[in-house]
Amino acid sequence: MNLKARRTYASSAILWLYSSFTLFVLGYMTYQAFRSKKELLSNTFGWPEVFNFANFGKLFAEAGFHRYFFNSVLILAATLLIVIGLSSMVAYGIGRFRFRFKNGLLVYFLIGLMFPVQLGIVPIFLLIRDMGLMNSQWGVVIVLASGLSMPVFLLTTFFEKLPADLYESAKIDGAGEWTTFQRVMFPLASPVVFSICIIMSVQIWNQFFVPLIMLQSEAKKTIPLMIMKFTNNLMYNIDLAMAGSVMATVPILILFFIFSGRVLEGVASGGIKG
Amino acid sequence: MAWFKKRPFLWFILPGFALYSLFTVYPIFSAFQISLNRWDGIGPKTFVGFANYAELFGNKELFGQLTGAFRHSVVLFLLNTLAVLPGQLYMAYLLYSRIKGHRFFQAMIFSPQFIATPVIVFMGTLIFDGNIGVFNKLLEAVGLGEWTRPWMGLPELGIYIVWMMVAWSGIGVGMIFFLGAMKMIPVEMMEAALLEGASYWRRFFSIVLPQIKTTVLNMLILTYIFAMTMFDFSFILGGVSGGINRSVDVMALFFYRIAFGDNSAVGGTMNVNAMGMGTTIACVMFSVIFVVAVVQVVLTYRRTEDGA
Repeated sequence: MNLKARRTYASSAILWLYSSFTLFVLGYMTYQAFRSKKELLSNTFGWPEVFNFANFGKLFAEAGFHRYFFNSVLILAATLLIVIGLSSMVAYGIGRFRFRFKNGLLVYFLIGLMFPVQLGIVPIFLLIRDMGLMNSQWGVVIVLASGLSMPVFLLTTFFEKLPADLYESAKIDGAGEWTTFQRVMFPLASPVVFSICIIMSVQIWNQFFVPLIMLQSEAKKTIPLMIMKFTNNLMYNIDLAMAGSVMATVPILILFFIFSGRVLEGVASGGIKG
Repeated sequence: MAWFKKRPFLWFILPGFALYSLFTVYPIFSAFQISLNRWDGIGPKTFVGFANYAELFGNKELFGQLTGAFRHSVVLFLLNTLAVLPGQLYMAYLLYSRIKGHRFFQAMIFSPQFIATPVIVFMGTLIFDGNIGVFNKLLEAVGLGEWTRPWMGLPELGIYIVWMMVAWSGIGVGMIFFLGAMKMIPVEMMEAALLEGASYWRRFFSIVLPQIKTTVLNMLILTYIFAMTMFDFSFILGGVSGGINRSVDVMALFFYRIAFGDNSAVGGTMNVNAMGMGTTIACVMFSVIFVVAVVQVVLTYRRTEDGA
Protein backbone atom coordinates (compact mmCIF):
# COMPACT_ATOMS: atom_id res chain seq x y z
CA MET A 1 0.00 0.00 0.00
CA ASN A 2 1.27 3.43 -0.86
CA LEU A 3 0.34 6.02 1.68
CA LYS A 4 3.18 8.28 0.72
CA ALA A 5 2.82 11.92 -0.01
CA ARG A 6 3.58 12.77 -3.59
CA ARG A 7 6.03 15.52 -2.77
CA THR A 8 7.89 15.40 0.50
CA TYR A 9 10.95 17.45 -0.42
CA ALA A 10 10.18 20.25 2.02
CA SER A 11 9.42 17.82 4.84
CA SER A 12 12.53 15.80 4.06
CA ALA A 13 14.61 18.94 4.16
CA ILE A 14 13.22 19.87 7.57
CA LEU A 15 13.94 16.43 9.00
CA TRP A 16 17.44 16.44 7.49
CA LEU A 17 18.18 19.87 8.95
CA TYR A 18 16.89 18.87 12.37
CA SER A 19 18.80 15.58 12.42
CA SER A 20 21.98 17.26 11.17
CA PHE A 21 21.74 19.78 13.97
CA THR A 22 21.59 17.00 16.56
CA LEU A 23 24.46 15.16 14.88
CA PHE A 24 26.47 18.37 14.73
CA VAL A 25 26.03 19.09 18.45
CA LEU A 26 27.14 15.56 19.35
CA GLY A 27 30.05 15.58 16.93
CA TYR A 28 31.19 19.06 17.93
CA MET A 29 31.22 18.16 21.62
CA THR A 30 33.14 14.96 20.93
CA TYR A 31 35.67 16.84 18.81
CA GLN A 32 36.24 19.48 21.49
CA ALA A 33 36.76 16.79 24.14
CA PHE A 34 40.12 15.93 22.55
CA ARG A 35 41.50 19.44 22.89
CA SER A 36 43.36 21.04 25.79
CA LYS A 37 41.70 23.34 28.34
CA LYS A 38 43.81 26.30 27.25
CA GLU A 39 42.82 25.94 23.62
CA LEU A 40 39.16 25.38 24.46
CA LEU A 41 38.95 28.70 26.25
CA SER A 42 41.22 30.91 24.16
CA ASN A 43 41.21 29.33 20.72
CA THR A 44 37.78 27.69 20.56
CA PHE A 45 37.38 27.82 16.80
CA GLY A 46 41.00 27.71 15.69
CA TRP A 47 42.88 24.74 14.25
CA PRO A 48 43.70 22.34 17.12
CA GLU A 49 47.34 22.18 18.20
CA VAL A 50 46.71 19.55 20.83
CA PHE A 51 44.46 16.62 19.95
CA ASN A 52 44.68 13.61 22.25
CA PHE A 53 43.04 11.58 24.99
CA ALA A 54 44.53 13.66 27.82
CA ASN A 55 41.14 14.94 29.05
CA PHE A 56 39.80 11.40 29.27
CA GLY A 57 42.87 10.26 31.18
CA LYS A 58 42.38 13.11 33.61
CA LEU A 59 38.69 12.25 33.93
CA PHE A 60 39.51 8.77 35.18
CA ALA A 61 42.74 9.46 37.08
CA GLU A 62 41.90 12.74 38.84
CA ALA A 63 38.13 13.03 38.77
CA GLY A 64 37.37 9.34 39.41
CA PHE A 65 34.82 8.91 36.62
CA HIS A 66 34.61 5.15 37.25
CA ARG A 67 33.32 5.81 40.79
CA TYR A 68 30.39 7.92 39.55
CA PHE A 69 29.78 5.39 36.82
CA PHE A 70 29.67 2.56 39.36
CA ASN A 71 27.20 4.50 41.53
CA SER A 72 24.95 5.16 38.54
CA VAL A 73 25.06 1.51 37.47
CA LEU A 74 24.34 0.30 41.00
CA ILE A 75 21.30 2.57 41.33
CA LEU A 76 20.04 1.61 37.87
CA ALA A 77 20.45 -2.15 38.32
CA ALA A 78 19.01 -2.32 41.83
CA THR A 79 16.05 -0.08 41.00
CA LEU A 80 15.21 -2.04 37.85
CA LEU A 81 15.37 -5.36 39.70
CA ILE A 82 13.05 -4.16 42.45
CA VAL A 83 10.64 -2.44 40.07
CA ILE A 84 10.36 -5.45 37.76
CA GLY A 85 10.03 -7.90 40.64
CA LEU A 86 7.42 -5.99 42.62
CA SER A 87 5.42 -4.62 39.70
CA SER A 88 5.09 -7.98 37.94
CA MET A 89 3.91 -9.56 41.20
CA VAL A 90 1.37 -6.80 41.83
CA ALA A 91 0.20 -6.90 38.22
CA TYR A 92 -0.12 -10.69 38.32
CA GLY A 93 -2.11 -10.47 41.54
CA ILE A 94 -4.49 -7.89 40.12
CA GLY A 95 -4.68 -9.27 36.58
CA ARG A 96 -4.93 -13.00 37.28
CA PHE A 97 -7.23 -13.24 40.29
CA ARG A 98 -10.79 -12.12 40.83
CA PHE A 99 -11.59 -10.32 44.06
CA ARG A 100 -13.46 -7.34 45.42
CA PHE A 101 -11.85 -3.89 45.03
CA LYS A 102 -9.76 -5.22 42.14
CA ASN A 103 -10.46 -2.21 39.94
CA GLY A 104 -10.16 0.16 42.86
CA LEU A 105 -6.72 -1.28 43.56
CA LEU A 106 -5.61 -0.74 39.98
CA VAL A 107 -6.79 2.88 40.13
CA TYR A 108 -4.90 3.25 43.42
CA PHE A 109 -1.72 2.18 41.68
CA LEU A 110 -2.43 4.51 38.77
CA ILE A 111 -2.81 7.75 40.74
CA GLY A 112 0.97 7.83 41.11
CA LEU A 113 1.16 8.77 37.42
CA MET A 114 -0.34 12.12 38.27
CA PHE A 115 2.06 12.99 41.06
CA PRO A 116 5.78 13.19 40.31
CA VAL A 117 8.28 12.65 43.10
CA GLN A 118 8.91 16.41 43.41
CA LEU A 119 5.58 16.93 45.20
CA GLY A 120 6.21 14.49 48.03
CA ILE A 121 9.94 14.95 48.36
CA VAL A 122 9.86 16.60 51.81
CA PRO A 123 8.12 13.67 53.55
CA ILE A 124 10.23 11.26 51.47
CA PHE A 125 13.35 13.11 52.60
CA LEU A 126 12.22 12.82 56.24
CA LEU A 127 11.39 9.10 55.89
CA ILE A 128 14.75 8.34 54.33
CA ARG A 129 16.50 10.37 57.00
CA ASP A 130 14.70 8.48 59.77
CA MET A 131 15.63 5.18 58.13
CA GLY A 132 19.28 6.26 58.20
CA LEU A 133 19.57 5.98 54.43
CA MET A 134 20.54 9.59 53.84
CA ASN A 135 23.61 9.89 51.64
CA SER A 136 23.32 6.24 50.60
CA GLN A 137 22.60 4.88 47.14
CA TRP A 138 19.96 2.60 48.72
CA GLY A 139 17.88 5.59 49.74
CA VAL A 140 17.79 6.70 46.10
CA VAL A 141 16.98 3.13 44.99
CA ILE A 142 14.02 2.81 47.36
CA VAL A 143 12.54 6.16 46.35
CA LEU A 144 12.93 5.52 42.61
CA ALA A 145 11.68 1.93 42.93
CA SER A 146 8.45 3.05 44.58
CA GLY A 147 7.31 4.60 41.29
CA LEU A 148 5.41 1.47 40.31
CA SER A 149 2.45 3.02 38.48
CA MET A 150 3.51 2.72 34.85
CA PRO A 151 4.95 -0.84 35.06
CA VAL A 152 1.98 -2.10 37.11
CA PHE A 153 -0.40 -0.66 34.54
CA LEU A 154 1.38 -2.16 31.52
CA LEU A 155 1.83 -5.58 33.12
CA THR A 156 -1.72 -5.78 34.49
CA THR A 157 -3.06 -5.16 30.99
CA PHE A 158 -0.81 -7.97 29.79
CA PHE A 159 -1.73 -10.53 32.47
CA GLU A 160 -5.46 -9.80 32.12
CA LYS A 161 -5.32 -10.71 28.45
CA LEU A 162 -3.53 -14.05 28.97
CA PRO A 163 -5.89 -16.99 28.34
CA ALA A 164 -7.10 -18.64 31.54
CA ASP A 165 -6.24 -22.15 30.23
CA LEU A 166 -2.56 -21.42 30.65
CA TYR A 167 -3.06 -20.84 34.32
CA GLU A 168 -5.40 -23.83 34.70
CA SER A 169 -3.03 -26.27 33.01
CA ALA A 170 -0.15 -25.16 35.19
CA LYS A 171 -2.31 -25.76 38.24
CA ILE A 172 -3.29 -29.22 37.03
CA ASP A 173 0.39 -30.04 36.72
CA GLY A 174 0.49 -29.50 40.46
CA ALA A 175 2.46 -26.26 40.46
CA GLY A 176 1.87 -23.90 43.37
CA GLU A 177 0.85 -20.28 42.88
CA TRP A 178 4.40 -19.01 43.16
CA THR A 179 5.88 -21.62 40.82
CA THR A 180 3.17 -20.93 38.25
CA PHE A 181 3.98 -17.26 38.37
CA GLN A 182 7.74 -17.67 38.31
CA ARG A 183 8.09 -20.50 35.77
CA VAL A 184 5.16 -19.91 33.44
CA MET A 185 3.63 -16.46 33.70
CA PHE A 186 6.59 -14.17 34.28
CA PRO A 187 8.64 -15.50 31.31
CA LEU A 188 5.62 -14.92 29.06
CA ALA A 189 5.66 -11.25 30.01
CA SER A 190 9.25 -10.70 28.90
CA PRO A 191 8.42 -8.43 25.92
CA VAL A 192 6.48 -6.11 28.24
CA VAL A 193 9.25 -6.33 30.83
CA PHE A 194 11.74 -5.35 28.13
CA SER A 195 9.68 -2.24 27.28
CA ILE A 196 9.47 -1.28 30.92
CA CYS A 197 13.22 -1.74 31.36
CA ILE A 198 13.92 0.59 28.43
CA ILE A 199 11.57 3.34 29.60
CA MET A 200 12.61 3.12 33.25
CA SER A 201 16.33 2.92 32.44
CA VAL A 202 16.28 6.26 30.66
CA GLN A 203 14.45 7.85 33.58
CA ILE A 204 16.67 6.35 36.26
CA TRP A 205 19.99 6.87 34.47
CA ASN A 206 19.28 10.57 33.90
CA GLN A 207 17.50 11.07 37.22
CA PHE A 208 18.68 14.34 38.71
CA PHE A 209 16.31 15.49 41.42
CA VAL A 210 16.31 12.55 43.84
CA PRO A 211 20.11 11.98 43.86
CA LEU A 212 20.64 15.74 44.23
CA ILE A 213 18.64 15.75 47.44
CA MET A 214 19.71 12.39 48.87
CA LEU A 215 23.43 12.16 48.04
CA GLN A 216 25.87 14.59 49.57
CA SER A 217 29.33 13.06 49.55
CA GLU A 218 31.26 12.93 46.28
CA ALA A 219 31.88 9.20 46.74
CA LYS A 220 28.15 8.46 46.44
CA LYS A 221 27.18 10.79 43.60
CA THR A 222 25.98 9.79 40.14
CA ILE A 223 27.13 10.81 36.66
CA PRO A 224 24.66 13.71 36.14
CA LEU A 225 25.74 15.25 39.45
CA MET A 226 29.40 14.84 38.46
CA ILE A 227 28.82 16.68 35.20
CA MET A 228 27.03 19.50 36.98
CA LYS A 229 30.01 19.86 39.29
CA PHE A 230 32.26 20.42 36.26
CA THR A 231 29.92 22.68 34.30
CA ASN A 232 29.38 24.90 37.36
CA ASN A 233 32.91 26.18 36.94
CA LEU A 234 33.76 26.04 33.28
CA MET A 235 36.84 28.26 33.56
CA TYR A 236 38.55 25.57 35.63
CA ASN A 237 36.86 22.42 34.48
CA ILE A 238 35.85 22.80 30.85
CA ASP A 239 38.19 19.96 29.84
CA LEU A 240 36.60 17.61 32.38
CA ALA A 241 33.12 18.84 31.44
CA MET A 242 33.78 17.97 27.79
CA ALA A 243 35.27 14.55 28.44
CA GLY A 244 32.68 13.72 31.11
CA SER A 245 29.80 14.74 28.85
CA VAL A 246 31.16 12.62 26.01
CA MET A 247 31.66 9.60 28.27
CA ALA A 248 28.16 10.01 29.68
CA THR A 249 26.53 10.41 26.28
CA VAL A 250 28.30 8.82 23.33
CA PRO A 251 28.51 5.15 24.47
CA ILE A 252 24.80 5.10 25.35
CA LEU A 253 23.84 6.72 22.07
CA ILE A 254 25.90 4.20 20.10
CA LEU A 255 24.09 1.39 21.91
CA PHE A 256 20.79 3.11 21.18
CA PHE A 257 21.53 3.48 17.47
CA ILE A 258 22.40 -0.21 17.19
CA PHE A 259 19.18 -1.33 18.90
CA SER A 260 17.02 1.69 18.03
CA GLY A 261 14.31 -0.35 16.28
CA ARG A 262 13.57 -2.52 19.29
CA VAL A 263 14.08 0.27 21.80
CA LEU A 264 11.64 2.60 20.06
CA GLU A 265 9.06 -0.17 19.77
CA GLY A 266 9.37 -0.61 23.53
CA VAL A 267 8.90 3.10 24.14
CA ALA A 268 5.88 3.24 21.83
CA SER A 269 4.13 0.38 23.61
CA GLY A 270 4.51 2.29 26.88
CA GLY A 271 2.68 5.25 25.39
CA ILE A 272 -0.46 3.54 24.21
CA LYS A 273 -2.94 3.84 26.98
CA GLY A 274 -6.68 3.79 27.13
CA MET B 1 -3.35 -17.97 57.94
CA ALA B 2 -6.34 -19.73 56.39
CA TRP B 3 -7.72 -16.34 55.41
CA PHE B 4 -4.50 -15.61 53.53
CA LYS B 5 -4.42 -19.09 51.97
CA LYS B 6 -7.79 -18.40 50.37
CA ARG B 7 -6.51 -15.17 48.93
CA PRO B 8 -3.19 -16.00 47.25
CA PHE B 9 -3.22 -12.72 45.32
CA LEU B 10 -2.49 -10.86 48.57
CA TRP B 11 0.99 -12.35 48.72
CA PHE B 12 1.67 -11.06 45.24
CA ILE B 13 0.29 -7.60 45.84
CA LEU B 14 1.43 -6.80 49.37
CA PRO B 15 5.17 -6.07 48.94
CA GLY B 16 4.62 -3.67 46.02
CA PHE B 17 1.59 -2.19 47.74
CA ALA B 18 3.63 -1.44 50.87
CA LEU B 19 6.52 0.24 49.06
CA TYR B 20 4.27 2.21 46.73
CA SER B 21 2.01 3.34 49.57
CA LEU B 22 4.85 4.41 51.80
CA PHE B 23 6.93 6.35 49.26
CA THR B 24 4.44 7.50 46.64
CA VAL B 25 1.01 7.89 48.23
CA TYR B 26 1.72 8.61 51.90
CA PRO B 27 4.10 11.55 51.16
CA ILE B 28 1.30 13.45 49.43
CA PHE B 29 -0.90 13.28 52.56
CA SER B 30 2.02 13.79 54.88
CA ALA B 31 3.04 16.90 52.93
CA PHE B 32 -0.40 18.38 53.53
CA GLN B 33 -0.19 17.58 57.22
CA ILE B 34 3.28 19.17 57.52
CA SER B 35 2.08 22.25 55.62
CA LEU B 36 -0.21 23.06 58.54
CA ASN B 37 2.81 23.46 60.82
CA ARG B 38 5.65 25.83 61.35
CA TRP B 39 8.72 23.61 61.20
CA ASP B 40 12.38 23.73 60.21
CA GLY B 41 12.74 19.95 59.85
CA ILE B 42 14.65 19.29 63.08
CA GLY B 43 13.19 21.21 65.99
CA PRO B 44 9.65 20.98 67.42
CA LYS B 45 6.64 21.41 65.14
CA THR B 46 4.12 24.14 65.91
CA PHE B 47 0.61 23.72 64.54
CA VAL B 48 -0.42 26.92 62.78
CA GLY B 49 -3.42 25.86 60.70
CA PHE B 50 -3.55 27.54 57.32
CA ALA B 51 -1.18 30.34 58.33
CA ASN B 52 1.48 29.12 55.89
CA TYR B 53 -0.99 29.39 53.02
CA ALA B 54 -2.02 32.84 54.18
CA GLU B 55 1.64 33.86 54.30
CA LEU B 56 2.41 32.39 50.87
CA PHE B 57 -0.41 34.36 49.27
CA GLY B 58 -0.17 37.42 51.51
CA ASN B 59 3.58 38.02 51.79
CA LYS B 60 4.58 40.28 48.92
CA GLU B 61 8.01 38.73 48.34
CA LEU B 62 6.78 35.12 48.51
CA PHE B 63 3.72 35.78 46.39
CA GLY B 64 5.86 37.61 43.84
CA GLN B 65 8.17 34.60 43.57
CA LEU B 66 5.18 32.26 43.36
CA THR B 67 3.49 34.14 40.53
CA GLY B 68 6.78 34.60 38.68
CA ALA B 69 7.56 30.90 38.87
CA PHE B 70 4.00 29.95 37.97
CA ARG B 71 4.03 32.28 34.95
CA HIS B 72 7.21 30.62 33.69
CA SER B 73 5.71 27.16 34.16
CA VAL B 74 2.65 28.27 32.20
CA VAL B 75 4.89 29.71 29.45
CA LEU B 76 6.64 26.33 29.23
CA PHE B 77 3.31 24.53 28.99
CA LEU B 78 1.94 26.88 26.32
CA LEU B 79 5.08 26.75 24.19
CA ASN B 80 5.16 22.96 24.46
CA THR B 81 1.49 22.73 23.52
CA LEU B 82 1.50 25.27 20.70
CA ALA B 83 4.90 24.55 19.18
CA VAL B 84 6.27 21.19 20.29
CA LEU B 85 3.05 19.15 20.15
CA PRO B 86 2.20 20.09 16.53
CA GLY B 87 5.83 19.42 15.67
CA GLN B 88 5.59 15.97 17.23
CA LEU B 89 2.40 15.23 15.29
CA TYR B 90 3.95 16.50 12.05
CA MET B 91 7.09 14.42 12.44
CA ALA B 92 5.15 11.35 13.59
CA TYR B 93 2.95 11.58 10.49
CA LEU B 94 5.97 11.87 8.19
CA LEU B 95 7.54 8.83 9.85
CA TYR B 96 4.20 6.99 9.68
CA SER B 97 4.05 7.53 5.93
CA ARG B 98 7.56 6.08 5.73
CA ILE B 99 9.36 9.12 4.41
CA LYS B 100 12.71 8.17 2.95
CA GLY B 101 15.21 7.68 5.75
CA HIS B 102 12.52 7.39 8.42
CA ARG B 103 14.49 4.95 10.59
CA PHE B 104 17.43 7.31 10.73
CA PHE B 105 15.25 10.33 11.45
CA GLN B 106 13.33 8.67 14.23
CA ALA B 107 16.53 7.56 15.96
CA MET B 108 18.13 11.00 15.57
CA ILE B 109 15.11 12.91 16.83
CA PHE B 110 14.67 10.60 19.80
CA SER B 111 18.34 10.40 20.77
CA PRO B 112 18.55 13.56 22.98
CA GLN B 113 16.21 11.73 25.37
CA PHE B 114 19.22 9.62 26.38
CA ILE B 115 21.34 12.65 27.26
CA ALA B 116 21.43 13.72 30.91
CA THR B 117 20.14 17.24 31.62
CA PRO B 118 23.49 18.70 32.77
CA VAL B 119 25.01 17.60 29.45
CA ILE B 120 22.15 19.20 27.50
CA VAL B 121 22.62 22.48 29.36
CA PHE B 122 26.37 22.22 28.70
CA MET B 123 25.65 21.70 24.99
CA GLY B 124 23.49 24.81 25.15
CA THR B 125 26.48 26.69 26.56
CA LEU B 126 28.73 25.42 23.77
CA ILE B 127 26.31 26.83 21.22
CA PHE B 128 24.91 29.98 22.83
CA ASP B 129 27.71 31.16 25.15
CA GLY B 130 28.90 34.74 24.60
CA ASN B 131 32.57 33.85 24.16
CA ILE B 132 32.93 30.22 23.17
CA GLY B 133 29.49 29.77 21.57
CA VAL B 134 29.10 28.54 17.99
CA PHE B 135 26.03 30.66 17.36
CA ASN B 136 27.84 33.98 17.79
CA LYS B 137 30.65 32.71 15.57
CA LEU B 138 28.05 31.85 12.94
CA LEU B 139 26.51 35.33 13.18
CA GLU B 140 29.94 36.88 12.66
CA ALA B 141 30.62 34.61 9.71
CA VAL B 142 27.48 35.74 7.88
CA GLY B 143 28.16 39.39 8.63
CA LEU B 144 25.75 39.91 11.51
CA GLY B 145 28.55 40.56 13.99
CA GLU B 146 26.69 43.34 15.78
CA TRP B 147 23.98 40.84 16.79
CA THR B 148 26.28 38.71 18.93
CA ARG B 149 25.04 38.37 22.52
CA PRO B 150 25.82 36.32 25.62
CA TRP B 151 22.60 34.44 24.87
CA MET B 152 22.66 32.12 27.88
CA GLY B 153 22.88 35.03 30.30
CA LEU B 154 20.13 37.34 29.03
CA PRO B 155 17.35 37.48 31.65
CA GLU B 156 14.67 38.36 29.10
CA LEU B 157 15.45 35.20 27.11
CA GLY B 158 15.97 32.94 30.14
CA ILE B 159 12.82 30.86 30.08
CA TYR B 160 12.87 30.59 26.27
CA ILE B 161 16.41 29.19 26.39
CA VAL B 162 15.18 26.68 28.98
CA TRP B 163 12.27 25.83 26.72
CA MET B 164 14.49 25.27 23.67
CA MET B 165 16.59 22.77 25.60
CA VAL B 166 13.49 21.08 27.04
CA ALA B 167 11.96 20.85 23.56
CA TRP B 168 15.10 19.44 21.94
CA SER B 169 15.53 16.80 24.61
CA GLY B 170 11.88 15.77 24.88
CA ILE B 171 10.36 16.09 21.42
CA GLY B 172 11.14 12.49 20.49
CA VAL B 173 9.09 10.85 23.25
CA GLY B 174 5.77 12.35 22.22
CA MET B 175 6.61 11.74 18.58
CA ILE B 176 7.16 8.02 19.25
CA PHE B 177 3.92 7.84 21.28
CA PHE B 178 1.98 9.46 18.43
CA LEU B 179 3.67 7.21 15.88
CA GLY B 180 2.69 4.17 17.95
CA ALA B 181 -0.92 5.38 18.08
CA MET B 182 -0.96 6.05 14.32
CA LYS B 183 0.22 2.51 13.64
CA MET B 184 -2.87 1.23 15.50
CA ILE B 185 -5.23 2.88 12.99
CA PRO B 186 -6.87 0.18 10.84
CA VAL B 187 -5.18 0.04 7.44
CA GLU B 188 -8.54 -0.33 5.62
CA MET B 189 -9.53 3.11 6.85
CA MET B 190 -6.46 4.73 5.34
CA GLU B 191 -6.86 2.76 2.12
CA ALA B 192 -10.49 3.78 1.74
CA ALA B 193 -9.55 7.43 2.14
CA LEU B 194 -6.77 7.01 -0.39
CA LEU B 195 -9.17 5.46 -2.92
CA GLU B 196 -11.57 8.33 -2.45
CA GLY B 197 -8.75 10.62 -3.46
CA ALA B 198 -8.19 12.37 -0.13
CA SER B 199 -4.89 14.25 -0.20
CA TYR B 200 -1.95 13.56 2.11
CA TRP B 201 -2.79 16.31 4.63
CA ARG B 202 -6.53 15.81 4.21
CA ARG B 203 -6.06 12.21 5.42
CA PHE B 204 -4.09 13.56 8.37
CA PHE B 205 -6.81 15.94 9.51
CA SER B 206 -9.88 13.82 8.78
CA ILE B 207 -8.67 10.35 9.76
CA VAL B 208 -5.38 10.26 11.64
CA LEU B 209 -6.00 13.14 14.04
CA PRO B 210 -9.49 12.03 15.19
CA GLN B 211 -8.24 8.44 15.59
CA ILE B 212 -5.36 9.35 17.90
CA LYS B 213 -7.18 12.05 19.84
CA THR B 214 -7.01 10.13 23.14
CA THR B 215 -3.24 9.88 22.85
CA VAL B 216 -3.05 13.62 22.10
CA LEU B 217 -5.15 14.37 25.19
CA ASN B 218 -2.96 12.12 27.33
CA MET B 219 0.12 13.86 25.95
CA LEU B 220 -1.41 17.22 26.83
CA ILE B 221 -1.87 16.29 30.48
CA LEU B 222 1.65 14.82 30.65
CA THR B 223 2.99 18.07 29.16
CA TYR B 224 1.10 20.03 31.78
CA ILE B 225 2.36 17.92 34.69
CA PHE B 226 5.88 18.18 33.26
CA ALA B 227 5.73 21.98 33.00
CA MET B 228 4.44 22.30 36.57
CA THR B 229 7.13 20.03 38.05
CA MET B 230 10.13 20.65 35.75
CA PHE B 231 13.16 21.31 37.90
CA ASP B 232 16.55 20.23 36.56
CA PHE B 233 16.95 22.53 33.51
CA SER B 234 16.21 25.66 35.51
CA PHE B 235 18.30 24.57 38.49
CA ILE B 236 21.36 23.74 36.40
CA LEU B 237 21.07 26.90 34.32
CA GLY B 238 20.16 29.39 37.03
CA GLY B 239 21.15 27.76 40.33
CA VAL B 240 19.04 27.82 43.49
CA SER B 241 18.06 31.47 42.98
CA GLY B 242 16.57 30.83 39.54
CA GLY B 243 18.99 32.94 37.51
CA ILE B 244 19.40 36.71 37.15
CA ASN B 245 16.15 38.37 38.27
CA ARG B 246 14.77 34.81 38.69
CA SER B 247 14.50 34.67 34.91
CA VAL B 248 14.45 30.87 34.72
CA ASP B 249 12.56 30.24 37.96
CA VAL B 250 9.80 27.60 37.83
CA MET B 251 7.39 26.13 40.39
CA ALA B 252 9.53 23.14 41.39
CA LEU B 253 12.63 25.31 41.76
CA PHE B 254 10.77 27.81 43.93
CA PHE B 255 9.67 24.89 46.10
CA TYR B 256 13.22 23.53 46.28
CA ARG B 257 14.64 26.94 47.21
CA ILE B 258 12.27 27.34 50.12
CA ALA B 259 12.40 23.74 51.38
CA PHE B 260 16.05 22.87 50.90
CA GLY B 261 17.65 26.30 50.64
CA ASP B 262 21.31 26.59 49.80
CA ASN B 263 22.65 23.05 49.54
CA SER B 264 21.83 22.39 53.16
CA ALA B 265 20.95 18.76 53.77
CA VAL B 266 18.73 19.43 56.73
CA GLY B 267 16.42 21.79 54.95
CA GLY B 268 17.21 25.46 54.66
CA THR B 269 19.56 27.18 57.05
CA MET B 270 18.14 30.65 56.76
CA ASN B 271 14.48 29.76 57.02
CA VAL B 272 13.08 28.54 60.34
CA ASN B 273 9.94 27.43 58.53
CA ALA B 274 11.62 25.65 55.60
CA MET B 275 9.64 22.42 55.80
CA GLY B 276 6.34 24.08 56.64
CA MET B 277 6.50 26.61 53.81
CA GLY B 278 8.12 24.10 51.44
CA THR B 279 5.30 21.60 51.81
CA THR B 280 2.78 24.45 51.50
CA ILE B 281 4.21 25.24 48.06
CA ALA B 282 4.21 21.52 47.19
CA CYS B 283 0.52 21.33 48.13
CA VAL B 284 -0.26 24.34 45.94
CA MET B 285 1.55 22.59 43.04
CA PHE B 286 -0.37 19.45 43.87
CA SER B 287 -3.76 21.17 43.66
CA VAL B 288 -2.78 23.00 40.48
CA ILE B 289 -2.07 19.60 38.89
CA PHE B 290 -4.97 17.78 40.52
CA VAL B 291 -7.67 20.16 39.29
CA VAL B 292 -6.52 19.93 35.68
CA ALA B 293 -6.04 16.15 35.88
CA VAL B 294 -9.58 15.65 37.19
CA VAL B 295 -11.01 17.87 34.44
CA GLN B 296 -9.11 15.82 31.86
CA VAL B 297 -10.24 12.48 33.29
CA VAL B 298 -13.87 13.68 33.32
CA LEU B 299 -13.60 14.90 29.72
CA THR B 300 -12.06 11.63 28.52
CA TYR B 301 -14.64 9.61 30.43
CA ARG B 302 -17.55 11.53 28.95
CA ARG B 303 -16.12 11.22 25.46
CA THR B 304 -15.83 7.42 25.65
CA GLU B 305 -19.41 7.24 26.97
CA ASP B 306 -20.60 9.30 24.03
CA GLY B 307 -18.71 7.07 21.67
CA ALA B 308 -20.16 3.85 23.07
